[in-house]
Amino acid sequence: MNWKTLIVNLLIALPVLANDFKTANALYDAGRFAEAASAYERLTPKSAGVYFNLGNAWFRQDKLGLAILNYERAQRLAPRDPDILANLKFAQQRLGVVEINQPPQPLRRFWANAVRSRTLVEWSWIEIVTLWLALLAVAGCIWLPKWRTGFIIAAVAVACVWVTATVALIDRVSSPPEAIVLVAKSEARSAPLPLATVLFNLTEGARVAIREDRGEWLFVERADGKQGWVNRAAVAGV
Amino acid sequence: MMRTTMNQARCSCASVKRSGGILLVALLFPLAAFAQVSVTATVDRPRIGFGESLSFTITVQGSQSTPSPAIPKVDGLVFAGPAVNTSMSIVNGVMSQSVGLAYQVTPTRTGEFVIPAIEVKLGDNAYRTEPIKIVVEKGAPQTDLSQKVAVRIQTASQQVYLGQTASLNVLVFARADVPLKGFAGFNHEADGLGYKYDPNVKSGTHVEGGVSYNVFIIEGVISPTRTGKLNFGPCVVKGQLAAERRSRSGDLFERFFGRVEVSEVPFTMDAVPIEVLPLPGEGRPADFSGAVGEWKLDVTAKPGDVNVGDPITLTIKVSGNGNIDLVPAPKLTGLDEFKTYDPTTKTTKNELNSAGERVIQQVLVPKSAGVKRLPDVRLSYFDPVAKQYKTAAHPPLQVNVKPGAGGQAAIVSGGGRVRPEEKLGHDIVYVKGAPGPIALVFPPVAFWLFNATPVVALLGALAWKRRVDRLRGDIAYARRSRAARNARKQLVAASDCQQVQHALQAYLGDRLNIPASGITASVAGERGLPGAVREIFEACDAARFAGASADVASLKQQVEQVIDELENADR
Repeated sequence: MNWKTLIVNLLIALPVLANDFKTANALYDAGRFAEAASAYERLTPKSAGVYFNLGNAWFRQDKLGLAILNYERAQRLAPRDPDILANLKFAQQRLGVVEINQPPQPLRRFWANAVRSRTLVEWSWIEIVTLWLALLAVAGCIWLPKWRTGFIIAAVAVACVWVTATVALIDRVSSPPEAIVLVAKSEARSAPLPLATVLFNLTEGARVAIREDRGEWLFVERADGKQGWVNRAAVAGV
Repeated sequence: MMRTTMNQARCSCASVKRSGGILLVALLFPLAAFAQVSVTATVDRPRIGFGESLSFTITVQGSQSTPSPAIPKVDGLVFAGPAVNTSMSIVNGVMSQSVGLAYQVTPTRTGEFVIPAIEVKLGDNAYRTEPIKIVVEKGAPQTDLSQKVAVRIQTASQQVYLGQTASLNVLVFARADVPLKGFAGFNHEADGLGYKYDPNVKSGTHVEGGVSYNVFIIEGVISPTRTGKLNFGPCVVKGQLAAERRSRSGDLFERFFGRVEVSEVPFTMDAVPIEVLPLPGEGRPADFSGAVGEWKLDVTAKPGDVNVGDPITLTIKVSGNGNIDLVPAPKLTGLDEFKTYDPTTKTTKNELNSAGERVIQQVLVPKSAGVKRLPDVRLSYFDPVAKQYKTAAHPPLQVNVKPGAGGQAAIVSGGGRVRPEEKLGHDIVYVKGAPGPIALVFPPVAFWLFNATPVVALLGALAWKRRVDRLRGDIAYARRSRAARNARKQLVAASDCQQVQHALQAYLGDRLNIPASGITASVAGERGLPGAVREIFEACDAARFAGASADVASLKQQVEQVIDELENADR
């Protein structure tokens, strides 16, 4: 699908989405959470609000793994939405996976949270704008020597932001796909075999990075760096 | 006795490392003099051949100087010496010092002898050594290694319980004169005993019957996996013996220093019976799940002040001596008032798995307000030392659970209720009324275009600036770069031969960076310009000064060709 087709489809789909979204919300308001979840699932394209409400519908059915999965998806689209962050944290607290889903090292944790705080498009714009500003500051140094010191300071400052945005962008693009554990308890094994040694347990709601895909088995890595093979049925990709 | 001797050996090692501190402590020597003095006598070997000598040493611990004692006469033995050797060491701030008096004892006949007790006087006190028996045989003495090296086991008891972790050390006693340098292997049989050992062999010294031994200790534990009368052993410890061999080659260096060769010698130990008892049925608690050892519980909970629906993390730490792998998660009673999730467990243990710690974190979510205490935590285990079952229990922790928003107890379970008013920290935020942002993708072409544009623009501007700067600073370059353009303009406007000639002169002047008026047909020849230039100059001069007819258009064309030729030559 090219860019023009996407825009045309969105122009047609968005009004329909808004209408169906209200219908699904009405089911939720009526306490018919299973039906509301099905209605939210059918909506396309999926927006942050759709994922958020779908997460709520699963939460109300006591399926916290699915709720966390959809809150994570919503956070990808609206990373600083306080409602999404609150519900995601609340569901994670319920399952006791708040700490498990964070890297144990403070610096890595800070960086991961910083990268998550912007969407891919936002990081792209930050990178582009700071590149333009940095190069304009360089041009100012050359053609306006009277204010060279000011331009140099501005160029260095903006270049720092540009480097940060570029690294975040690369991190975001090159990082492996993530998944959420959906079953109450699953086991990560040393090999993609049902009888292989159990290396560690994965609890519902835990976030893992998918390092390798071998059909029925996925080689996953937890935030604390532990790696193992887990059955595909136990997780769902964010 | 052996442990004391090993400590003394460690002290000796420490004394080498801390030799720098000896001077300082030596100043305090008078304060420590005569504290805990002991006197012992040893021989390097109790059995020698006639014609050989042995070393008899009197060691005074706790003193750094002693007068030479009177050695009683022993019929058949001749004492020579003594050679005095003093030493001092400090361990953990405690100083120890000793003085050794070494005598060389040479027999004058064969037979059995007793070196009697020898009295050593230190100040007002007198100390006596133990008598030592020695044997002098005809010819070479019995030097069978089996009489000099012995392998034994050391264990608290030869009766252990199933699942118990008990220490079992293998000790190798080697007489001081045996040049045992280390070990190359340790083979053992311990079927059903679950034996593990530390490959790092400890060492010490031991004196028995007046004979000094080096002791090598292989520390290990057994953790039986079945009951019955089992055997530990037989064992084979491969020792490395150093033997000095004189070289017969002509190498002066080797002949002087000799050469040390290491040979492996097996030392064996017969099987030792170990009886493994089943855990007694009498007094077994109902919740006993197989933990054996000495265990203690430590329980904490955070936070202690919550609202209904907020999670409380109960942390249970089980630690102690025994096989931690056999310790199950402690039982929690009174869970009805809480919603629970699978606990997370972290286990750490030492290399021999004889001690360990297990931390269990259990998330509890109170279902209603009014919950005052957390569940009881109990762990039943069998204590093999006390030979009875015990239960470690922690008193229930107090918590304060407050109702949710509006003073009502919230319902924790997922479905069944619509809550139009929801609050952060108590319940999830209610559903959104608008779909919100959808997934947008930055088109890759646009992304790279936006990135490349400023870079290309800046590079272009820099190139342009460089050219402008050069045009301003380099007159020759500036004249040459605009020569063709200016000349062509003049050519277009030229209407007679003189103007054509001026245009050509202006071009050549700019190109060669010389005054245009100074360029003539002869200068053109000197400068190596094409012959057409000279022809144009001559034709123009003829028309101007001799009245010859000239085709101005043809001249213009020739000048154009000259300009093109010279410009192309530059490229």
